[in-house]
Amino acid sequence: MVSRANFFRKVGFGLKAGDVIPSDPLGWAKAQVDIAPDMVWDAPIPTDADMQDNYAKFVVTDRKVLREKYKGDRDGYEAAKDKLRYETGEKYYENLELCIRHNTALKSGAPVFERLWMFWCNHFAIIEKDFLPQFSTGPYHREIIRQHMTGQFVDLAKAATTSWAMIHNLDNSESVGPNSEQGRWRKKDGRVATVNENHARELLELHTVSPSAKYTQDDVVALSYIMAGWEHKWSKKREECNPVKFNQKKHQPGTHSVLGIAYKQKGLTSKNKLFDALDDLSENPHTRRFIAFKLCRHFITDEPTDAMIAPIIKAWEDTDGHLPSVHKALIAVIYDHTNKELKFQNPEVWLLQMVNMAEMNWPPQAKDMKYNFKTKPSYLKRRAENIMRELGHNPYRPIQPNGFSDLERDWISPELLIRRLALPQEFSMYMKSQLNVEAIIEKNCSFPDEPLKQMSKMKTQLHRLQYLFPSYWMLKA
Amino acid sequence: MMNRRDFILGSITLTMLGSPLFSARAEQLEKRNLVVILLRGGMDGLTAVPPRDPILASHRPDIMVENTLPLNADFDLNPRLQEFHKCWKEGKASICHATNIPYTMRSHFEGQDVMESGGRTPFALSTGWLGRGIHAANLDGLAISLPMPLLLRGPTSVDNYYPTYLNAPSLDMMQSVHASYPADSLLAQTMGKVISRPVSMMKSTSSRDAHDLARAASRMLAKPDGPRVAVFDIEGFDTHASQGGDEGEHADKLADYDLILSRLKQGMGDAFDNTVIVTLTEFGRKLDQNGGNGTEHGYGTAVLLAGGLVKGGMVHADWPGLQKKHLFEGQDLNATMDARSIYCSAMATCFQVDFEQLKRDVFWNEPLVDLTDQLFV
Repeated sequence: MVSRANFFRKVGFGLKAGDVIPSDPLGWAKAQVDIAPDMVWDAPIPTDADMQDNYAKFVVTDRKVLREKYKGDRDGYEAAKDKLRYETGEKYYENLELCIRHNTALKSGAPVFERLWMFWCNHFAIIEKDFLPQFSTGPYHREIIRQHMTGQFVDLAKAATTSWAMIHNLDNSESVGPNSEQGRWRKKDGRVATVNENHARELLELHTVSPSAKYTQDDVVALSYIMAGWEHKWSKKREECNPVKFNQKKHQPGTHSVLGIAYKQKGLTSKNKLFDALDDLSENPHTRRFIAFKLCRHFITDEPTDAMIAPIIKAWEDTDGHLPSVHKALIAVIYDHTNKELKFQNPEVWLLQMVNMAEMNWPPQAKDMKYNFKTKPSYLKRRAENIMRELGHNPYRPIQPNGFSDLERDWISPELLIRRLALPQEFSMYMKSQLNVEAIIEKNCSFPDEPLKQMSKMKTQLHRLQYLFPSYWMLKA
Repeated sequence: MMNRRDFILGSITLTMLGSPLFSARAEQLEKRNLVVILLRGGMDGLTAVPPRDPILASHRPDIMVENTLPLNADFDLNPRLQEFHKCWKEGKASICHATNIPYTMRSHFEGQDVMESGGRTPFALSTGWLGRGIHAANLDGLAISLPMPLLLRGPTSVDNYYPTYLNAPSLDMMQSVHASYPADSLLAQTMGKVISRPVSMMKSTSSRDAHDLARAASRMLAKPDGPRVAVFDIEGFDTHASQGGDEGEHADKLADYDLILSRLKQGMGDAFDNTVIVTLTEFGRKLDQNGGNGTEHGYGTAVLLAGGLVKGGMVHADWPGLQKKHLFEGQDLNATMDARSIYCSAMATCFQVDFEQLKRDVFWNEPLVDLTDQLFV
């Protein structure tokens, strides 16, 4: 029988030496996408609302209290700001979130779901801007993305688009319809009132239809009009840290057309216009084609073919974008291509595969992450962010709204390769027991003969770790 | 200001190329340096180099740049470009205005891909114009950044360097790992670079402070046998909100550029006179300010040129004007010059290779204009 062992790394984090190989791998994988498993963490997990309180405390105290109090006293200001950082967890929560993310990925019992979660977090990417990585992106991934992966795409798109993190990320609060109530009195004051196109443009280009839909600048402006009014209000007490609400006073009145479809107000407010537009954008054939392609590119190959994406598009059409159905169709295509295509594994996935297969004590656990909020977090408490930064892949810090690349060539440079070469030794301190390298290779590599042969030349445990994980057999799945 | 955190996370990165260590050709030539500073997000030429035209203020009442530095009868300079202004006065800086790469669609990702690849179609090429230029000039190189920017990818792979505290395994181990990669794959080529490195580059270190690296870069560029191409990468020019005037976020980013220029000039000493430092961005910004005191994605912008090889004190532009009928799509400063002509001319000057050859080998013989005599000494 031909081994399809690569499949367990293609869709997950591989199997441990002692794991029982699922007799029906396809069924095993498909069964993991219907419900969102709870986060796995041995302590209460902060909510998005808790984190916004911290964000508010941090920015309000810094901007309104410290800068006034320590005017002209640079050292005094820096000392007070450090104290504020500790009190609000500004140097802590990003690490905590990474630990929760990785612990859940490895222990939720649904690695396939976790891999898809990572895909969608990167699809609706929140960039490294202001204090989003420190306070907001982790909770957004948990409470917005994860909670909407078991329903329709359109509901995920609506939730992500109107989330605090995304509205802040793409400046939609700055948008003012030129003919809106606020726009008119702004103009009376001699001030400018226009929309901010940032969010509308990325919603079309990155989140839904993609440039293949050939939308025009007029479409972007029209969608910006439709989105004008979706904002987080500014307040004296909490600055920008207030829930997202629709503000009719900033909305551009009238009917606006995007990709040939007109959107008009129904009922007392214009709130419906964005949701109506998202209904149509989600149903647009370009959206399903774009996302099917992106899913295949992430999981199967840098250059997906029409034959690969066709069954995924069909599942989308049959179910109006029911994500578990789309995911199951994807899983079947991945399974079919298990030994035909090899996909280069990005640094975060590769790290988690190594930790899982070699059974390393990573990430730090709830007891390790207990924090006093008074002093600088210890080395171990800052370790997760440090490691992901070294690898060039901190999931809370994409530099641009298109997220991290899915292409092999973007993840290969001598320095990025050195990180892969060096990390096994660095992580050897987290080994719990002897590495059962034969079992790992047999359970995770479709073609085990060559790696087993090479492995027999490695005399020490450290050499086995150092060889196996940066080798071709493990960089690719 | 650049801070350490920004630097490490890649919001400002530095890449150096063209170590002539392996290049016989380079030894025969006088060493000239080319530094490209990427300004990601869409640098606003109208904020960096505002024209003296009252139309500008009527479109941007809240984000006008004040306290500008005078350049000539038609243009002023953003006051945060202090070092650039010093160079200007010394005859070592000039500006190309109303120019851009041939990209008009207002998407960052497409625009940045095209500005680095040097082509016309987004995501169609896997090499960058500087990588192809270095290959055409037969130089070999070293980059200092964690990923390899598209701009520098060429037909042959280049080396890079970025300090880490992690320890690389032994040479034997790396050779074993290397043997697992298919011959001729990018992985194998890249691993070959790692293995052939001098020992000093493999030592672990955690020093990668932006200022240290900028200083180190200038020292390496100054060496007769050091690298001859460097690339800096500055993020954050996408000021949809609170762009501001001379104290705003856009001006802060220009100040980042100015700081790099100042460190290079200071650190390079006499070698600065044998250098061109040129900026590259995906597009300019709309003439109108928006409701959040920012600006939207536009088209035409300015390219800043500094260094002793630059014919100084000039604003080169076929100025299209800011009246509505002269704007691109009625909204943006138009581009009347293909910026690739500037880059091709800069490479011809610094690599001492014929312009026509580079135009053919790097830019597929597209109709670029030879500006070497106009722009460079």
